[in-house]
Amino acid sequence: MKKKIVSIMMTGILAAGMLAGCGGSKPADSSAQPAAEPAAEGEAAGEAEAVDYGSGEIKIWVAENVVDFTKEQCDAFFAEHADMAGYTVTVEPVGEGDAAGNVITDVEGGADIYGFAQDQLARLVAAGALTPIAGDEQTLISGWNDAASINSATVGGTLYAYPLTSDNGYFLYYDKSVVTDPTSLEAIIADCEAAGKGFYMEINSGWYQTAFFFGAGADLTYETDDAGNFTACNAGYATEEGVAAMKAMINLHKSKAFNNGSSISNAANCAAIVDGTWDSGAAKDLFGENYACAKLPEFTVDGTTYQMSGFGGFKLMGVKPQTDAGKLQVCKALAQYLSSEAVQIARYNAVGWGPSNLNAQQDEAVKADEALTALSEQLQYTIPQGQYPGDYWTLATSLGDSIISGDYDNADDAALMAALQDFQATCEGYAK
Amino acid sequence: MTKKKRIGLTISYIVLILISIIWLFPFFCLVLQSFRSYQTEFGGMVNYLVPKQFSLDSYKFLFTEGSQFTRWYANTFVIACVVSVLQTVVVICVSYALSRMRFAGRKLLMNIWLVLGMFPGFLTMICLYFLLKQMGLTQDGAVPGLILIYVASSGMGYYVCKGYFDTMPKALDEAARIDGASRFQILYQMIIPLSKPIIIYTMLVSFMAPWCDFVFASYVAFGKSDSYNVAVALQRWVWTNDYQGYFTRFCAGGILVAVPVTLLFMFLQKYYVEGVTGGAVKG
Amino acid sequence: MGEKKTIGRQIAEAFGWLGADLKDIGTTFAQGDFRTRISYLIMGFGQILRGQFVRGIAMLASQGLLLYFIFGFGMQYLKDITTLGTSGRGFNPDGTVSYGDNSFFILLYSLLTIFAIAALILLWRINLYHNRDAQRLLAAGKKLPSNRQDLHSLLDHNFDKTLLALPCLGIFVFTVLPIIFMICVAFTNYDYNHQPPSQLFTWVGLENFKNLFSMGGDGYGSTFFTVLGWTLIWSFFATFLNYFLGMAVAILINQKGIKFKKLWRTILVMTIAVPQFVSLLYVGKMFAADGLVNSYLIKWGFITRAIPFWTNPLYARILIIVINLWVGIPYIMLIATGLLMNIPEDLYESAKIDGANPFQMFFSITLPYMLFVTGPFLLTQFIGNLNNFNVIYLLTQGKPQSMSLKGGAGYTDLLVTWLYKMTVNDTDYKTAAVIGIMVFVVTAVISLIVYNVLPSVKDEEGFQ
Repeated sequence: MKKKIVSIMMTGILAAGMLAGCGGSKPADSSAQPAAEPAAEGEAAGEAEAVDYGSGEIKIWVAENVVDFTKEQCDAFFAEHADMAGYTVTVEPVGEGDAAGNVITDVEGGADIYGFAQDQLARLVAAGALTPIAGDEQTLISGWNDAASINSATVGGTLYAYPLTSDNGYFLYYDKSVVTDPTSLEAIIADCEAAGKGFYMEINSGWYQTAFFFGAGADLTYETDDAGNFTACNAGYATEEGVAAMKAMINLHKSKAFNNGSSISNAANCAAIVDGTWDSGAAKDLFGENYACAKLPEFTVDGTTYQMSGFGGFKLMGVKPQTDAGKLQVCKALAQYLSSEAVQIARYNAVGWGPSNLNAQQDEAVKADEALTALSEQLQYTIPQGQYPGDYWTLATSLGDSIISGDYDNADDAALMAALQDFQATCEGYAK
Repeated sequence: MTKKKRIGLTISYIVLILISIIWLFPFFCLVLQSFRSYQTEFGGMVNYLVPKQFSLDSYKFLFTEGSQFTRWYANTFVIACVVSVLQTVVVICVSYALSRMRFAGRKLLMNIWLVLGMFPGFLTMICLYFLLKQMGLTQDGAVPGLILIYVASSGMGYYVCKGYFDTMPKALDEAARIDGASRFQILYQMIIPLSKPIIIYTMLVSFMAPWCDFVFASYVAFGKSDSYNVAVALQRWVWTNDYQGYFTRFCAGGILVAVPVTLLFMFLQKYYVEGVTGGAVKG
Repeated sequence: MGEKKTIGRQIAEAFGWLGADLKDIGTTFAQGDFRTRISYLIMGFGQILRGQFVRGIAMLASQGLLLYFIFGFGMQYLKDITTLGTSGRGFNPDGTVSYGDNSFFILLYSLLTIFAIAALILLWRINLYHNRDAQRLLAAGKKLPSNRQDLHSLLDHNFDKTLLALPCLGIFVFTVLPIIFMICVAFTNYDYNHQPPSQLFTWVGLENFKNLFSMGGDGYGSTFFTVLGWTLIWSFFATFLNYFLGMAVAILINQKGIKFKKLWRTILVMTIAVPQFVSLLYVGKMFAADGLVNSYLIKWGFITRAIPFWTNPLYARILIIVINLWVGIPYIMLIATGLLMNIPEDLYESAKIDGANPFQMFFSITLPYMLFVTGPFLLTQFIGNLNNFNVIYLLTQGKPQSMSLKGGAGYTDLLVTWLYKMTVNDTDYKTAAVIGIMVFVVTAVISLIVYNVLPSVKDEEGFQ
């Protein structure tokens, strides 16, 4: 009578067999062909040698608004490189945050080439999701792009990604008819309060928060080794400067004009917002003829005035580690192409992303861009963003949320110092 | 009617009207927002309710060539239909076996399933993802993959249906067996025709669930936008910074999802009520 | 069966059973003919020789497949189960990558192999039963069930096995196996720093549990208990407020003299019908600092500055419970409507004659009846609310976070939403697994308590 159990089991075995069949690529996957190959092929990838690159599919993940652009550029690339035409490219709209998250979850399932914001770099390296860029290629890429962007793409001493933009910083967009003096935070707040409008800044983000901390003179940087592990933390948050920054944020949160946010399309009542170039289109739509932008304002705490600082960040493009040598060559060549001078200029023209390529930065149209000008004005006060552990961003959100929920509204300096000591100790704990 | 009663009724009506307003207000707002143009007005959040100008831009966008909305919609529809049928079959099979038949290990099986049900579903997400990946049912294969996942564990959701079967007199079975009918014939020829309400209830509930899954569906699609369902895709329009000014389009898409599901639900409400009431009484 | 057995006696019984079983295996062999004896090695041999081809071939085929799976595939993983892999990833001179051991699949396939071995032993034992019984039947001069009878029984008295085969298989592969896998993960260091295929993870014993419960320093202790506390508070209010208010609304609509009953119900039921990711996402936005509610309150002069609905922990918690009413009341209303009609009218009539007012009638007639009938339902509701991911995540994503909570947890996080964030945002699977186990423990404890308080829940046959 137990016979049907037999068939249950049998189906079980069948399913197991199916699993086995699909997943049986365990140890013997060293398809590493030690093919003699030129380490870097530059732009004209050695057409004369007629290397067999094989064929296959290359998956690319980029932000929604550059999907079409990237497709066109890929077509142009393969038109130029007929020897690599065995590969077909699919471009999927996967935003920078999602791309990094997905690739970290499952490296093998992730895209071969993907764009991401630099704050994810260390996590991606730790998860083994990036191919190192070494030797001649490293020299080549380093020569193309500004030093800060190269630094941002470097973990330990190894370059891991191709810089795409140097515009991942933030500055102030505002409504000219409301804000009269964009150089002082207090004045902006006063104008907004008077007009019943909002001032938006995402102070519960570890990224925007540093405008205050770094501005006041507190610092926080990490050192990494080649594997993406954090080895040391240099933190100066539990200092008088840190307390001043905290006070400035607490004062800001106390204003009724303050709103926590950095996305224009979610800002329903906006007269001024701290935001980046990616929102310049939306900002123009929203403010119309009153659209204006400027560097970040100064803020005053206990009679001392500080200039807001912050992170100057970068968008990068990475190539996933490949097991096939031919495909790796093609991916690298394609990533080089997509981050090259001409494509960076074209990308600026298409979607307004500010180039990291030194030559492209000298392009007339780029130089004339209002938002990028505001950004570059701001950049002289900012710190090029290095590597930060994933936990830092979560912790900073907690700090910001604590400020916004009013935990420190009545705190004295000692209490703020205690909170910052706690924060700093936790930050230091991430580097071991 | 006494005066007291009349006052009581009046108050009841006022309360009911207030409740109705509260209940309908968000949907009303949602509809209004969806008629705001993202081109001429603003596609993001605004702090006023009535659009300055009514427009169908947001709806039009969903059906333009660049938008994959129809694709996502079709994916979800296919998943919902297939899951609805398969899940119902599974649930009926399990319920019949557990309700009408007595076999060794029956109690044990029910207890094991009860215990399994106490683990949160999200716990196993990562493992399920890799299992599906091994079978090639992620990314391009996300639609069949999701169907498989939804259907595979549906056997554990037998409570309501079994409760319904339990209420049918056992004497029916016994009479039929004396007449020489096999268990299969009893299920096929007697129980199923008598179970129309519970079948419709099960189908309805399992049809509605896939429309809401934005968590696991996003995991399984893994960045392949052709494989998204509507929930995953629309949720990105609100939460991801890449989609500036997509809020009105989210509202429009949401309405297009909500309307057919709601209509279907209203149409079959009677069965739904019967199902949940039966389920509540029997635990 | 009803009496409680001591654990000692249970163990003794188990050993007794095992002993008897081993003895039976021995006697079956001793008394068996050559067909039975060869079946000890080649499963199904005896059945085939006795003409029971269906059984025999099924046995033989499953033995073959299982052995093939275990030795052809599973063993290479199972041998690494103690270390979960030793050889890491490396880059070749040409820049390509060679992945080494994959701890994830070593663990997963090892589990599968262990299950396969267990299945093989079980089948082998069943195979012996078959042979023994067949031999006895033949010895007694009776006929064995024919192949046709065997097959037909699958639609008749063995129909349960046909019905349950696929559902059980599905549950095994997609529920049992993953749950056991994740329970194992709770004892490893599988997280963002140990992520296959690039990195290995390995066993760490009770480290993760210690970390979840340790109070000071980096430990999650105080955070865990804050989140657990809120999870229980939330479940309590979400269950009972919905229950009583839903019942109240049902009574309101069912009053004599109220017209358009169906219309009122239909309006309320909208919240069940419209997918939550649409309705709740929108409602969440309505209460933002610059959302519709605040804007209009300011515009109309009720308030001068926005109410921090989502950023103040207390407000956020209250608002979530209130919005959950919007979702939950209709559901209870539907259920209560049906049940209220079942209460005999004359109960109310006689209470009225005794001079009871509506409130007294509610508390002495309606409520006891409803509680009696829906007791088990309340338990399922409570447990469902412990795991009510959608409402929390779509409204707040667990925010606001705080410096006093670790691991990215927020004040409105339930254990499940925290688990979700651990899995998806932080890829901290080890901690997520531990939290998942804790959710199980909480659910199980509550269920056990309620089962003991409400004896009627246990009585399954009583409803038939």
